[in-house]
Amino acid sequence: MTILRPVFTFFLYAILAIAAQNAIFSRALGVSRLVKMVEDGSVELFKFGLLLTIVQFFSSLLGYFVSHLLLGLDLSFKAAFLPLVLVLCSVIVFLLVLLVIALAGSRIAARDYLELLPMATFNCCVIGTLLLTTTGGYTLLQTLAFSLGSSVGYVLAVILVNEGQRKIQNRNLPAAFRGLPITLIYIGILALAIYGFTGHAPAI
Amino acid sequence: MRRNLSVYLSENMDRLMRRDRFFFNNPVFLQGLGLAPVVVAAYDLHNALVLSLAAAILLTPTRVIAALLCRRCYLRFRGAVYTLTAAVIYIAAWFCCQAVFGVGIQSVGLYLPMLVVEPIIIKRYERAKQERLSTALRKGLLTTAGFLLALLLTAAIRELLGAGTLLGAPVFSGAPLPMTQLTCGGFFVVGLLAALWRGMRNLFKKIVTMEANTK
Repeated sequence: MTILRPVFTFFLYAILAIAAQNAIFSRALGVSRLVKMVEDGSVELFKFGLLLTIVQFFSSLLGYFVSHLLLGLDLSFKAAFLPLVLVLCSVIVFLLVLLVIALAGSRIAARDYLELLPMATFNCCVIGTLLLTTTGGYTLLQTLAFSLGSSVGYVLAVILVNEGQRKIQNRNLPAAFRGLPITLIYIGILALAIYGFTGHAPAI
Repeated sequence: MRRNLSVYLSENMDRLMRRDRFFFNNPVFLQGLGLAPVVVAAYDLHNALVLSLAAAILLTPTRVIAALLCRRCYLRFRGAVYTLTAAVIYIAAWFCCQAVFGVGIQSVGLYLPMLVVEPIIIKRYERAKQERLSTALRKGLLTTAGFLLALLLTAAIRELLGAGTLLGAPVFSGAPLPMTQLTCGGFFVVGLLAALWRGMRNLFKKIVTMEANTK
């Protein structure tokens, strides 16, 4: 039971972040990036998703310890410094991943990864999830599970919206609705479905 | 006189549509930037005012200072420079919002600190060409104005439909469409406004072209 309980908690928080509290459909974290990626259609989703997951996972690990140090201080204005601290955590992870890519440059398509890395790091999904887990009082296990689930949920949302484009971008659609407007309405319908499934809107 | 104006506008239409970030190329409704706070947190005018103040303090200074810092910076590090600059300026923005709105800033939740990574503030880092300071200042101010227009307009519509009030003052006896207060409602409202914006832009183009071609 002592082993099963943490495993259960991990999967519970990961699934919560993928489905009921999906980054896009419940909080619209990183929706501007999603819309651009879907419009361009040139971003390699697997590579982007991999980088996003790595950056988010390690940023949340680092962010957990650093934010606990900051939140432990008896300061009334620590909320002003929290984004800077969390951005610094993601910058450290960004530099480490950049170094790994540079070292493994001959074995992988390093150029593609280098181009996608800033997009995957300086993303509302990464910082939004870090803010949620640090201010929500999550434990380390919950933080890691939620950040992993959040990045997987984000990639799944991109795939879902990308697939939907085939149906919604057709000639029968009025010209004014083509592109961004119909994509947003489509995401709205999916968000409504998630809302119907959970029955409540998550706190912002 | 009017025909001359139409001819001038018709000849420079593409440039006008590209450069005018307030209306014809609004960052939210036409470029899809800054959607997260508009879709989720801007469900009433109070929240929109908090976000507006923070965005006004953050956007232009971040763009100008980051443009200056990026002059001798490796392309891949520009994202970090823009984000860190925004995070530092956010400290000043937080104190300003706290002084003006007090505990009211908590109603926007994580969407206030998340402005430091919003594409509307930091997206310029993706372009390889370096930006001149005067251009950064001009575009920053125009983008701020366009963002505030979209934010306040969306929030006013959502508050009116979702709660039947405007800045807390009752306008209708009940809430005509409470769903607009939710995230899904935010997507619908912004999607419909984006369609309306495109429709108006296309209509303007059509009228100008017609007037320019009449003898």
